[in-house]
Amino acid sequence: MIDHYDWAGGREAMLRFGPATGPVVIAAMPLFEEANRTRAFIVSILRMLAGHGIATALPDLPGTGESLTETEYASVKNWNKAFSSAVEFLKPESRPVHAIAVRGGALIDSTAPLASRWHFAPVAGEALVRDMLRARMAAAMESGETIGAETIAPPGPPIELAGNRLSRALLAELEHGVPSNEPPLRTVRLDTDTLPADRHLAGAPLWRRSEPGSDPDLARLLADDIAAWIATCAA
Amino acid sequence: MLPDDINEIDATVRAVLRDVLGLSQARVDAFRSETPLFGGLAELDSMAVAGMLTELEERLGILIEDDEVDGEMLETFGALVRFAAAKANR
Repeated sequence: MIDHYDWAGGREAMLRFGPATGPVVIAAMPLFEEANRTRAFIVSILRMLAGHGIATALPDLPGTGESLTETEYASVKNWNKAFSSAVEFLKPESRPVHAIAVRGGALIDSTAPLASRWHFAPVAGEALVRDMLRARMAAAMESGETIGAETIAPPGPPIELAGNRLSRALLAELEHGVPSNEPPLRTVRLDTDTLPADRHLAGAPLWRRSEPGSDPDLARLLADDIAAWIATCAA
Repeated sequence: MLPDDINEIDATVRAVLRDVLGLSQARVDAFRSETPLFGGLAELDSMAVAGMLTELEERLGILIEDDEVDGEMLETFGALVRFAAAKANR
């Protein structure tokens, strides 16, 4: 069902699945183009969690999804605020709220009052900016345009990067953004990722695919891992 | 460089192209040294180039400087493997 939550800057939509009682999992999507590429995959995980008797919520953040805010007005600070408000909105139902965050989503669950955090392939904001800048450079190889780190440095107007118009302030915020590490925290990564994690799983990085796809086997493994983690947190 | 190393790098580059571009294993297995990549492979757009470079960095434990990224190292499969091998052995 499509619900809504209010935050200091307005009202945003929130997709909800699963039972009306018990723990709730709130999901923080990857950022920018990676969100489009993984949305079907993440929604399939949320539906599987409903099969485990776990309710789930997927909030739109200001400047993403169906939000009325233009992406160029988005900021990491406001994403954290909005995500916290969505968590508060779910709490009066007297349920523990656990966050699952994928990729850059791990940058926006840091201030929310959560029972636990679970991260899949968390990434520092700096790496995301680098990816987007590189895409712009690769595009420039054909046009002959010169692109470098100074292209996105403030001050200046919003800049088109990898299909989004982004403010330079947001890019500067991202450069310093690191995944939250507040315990209890569980981190899962792909087995091709050499960074440390509680568990490494086989699978392809769907967030890099230009054709959005899903991976039912990986979604099942992740949903089972989340369900087991939440049971551990409740024990 | 030991033959095992270059084979491993060759296999890693194929796996990255498979995973990032969503190509079948059969298709990447058929890549030859002269198979054209950037400009020749429809799936390899500018966003995919960025993703591919980052995945190569992660999986091979290398760091690719932005000024090293040019049309030449992306021109063919063989050129990309040679670039990755030179990086990995530094």
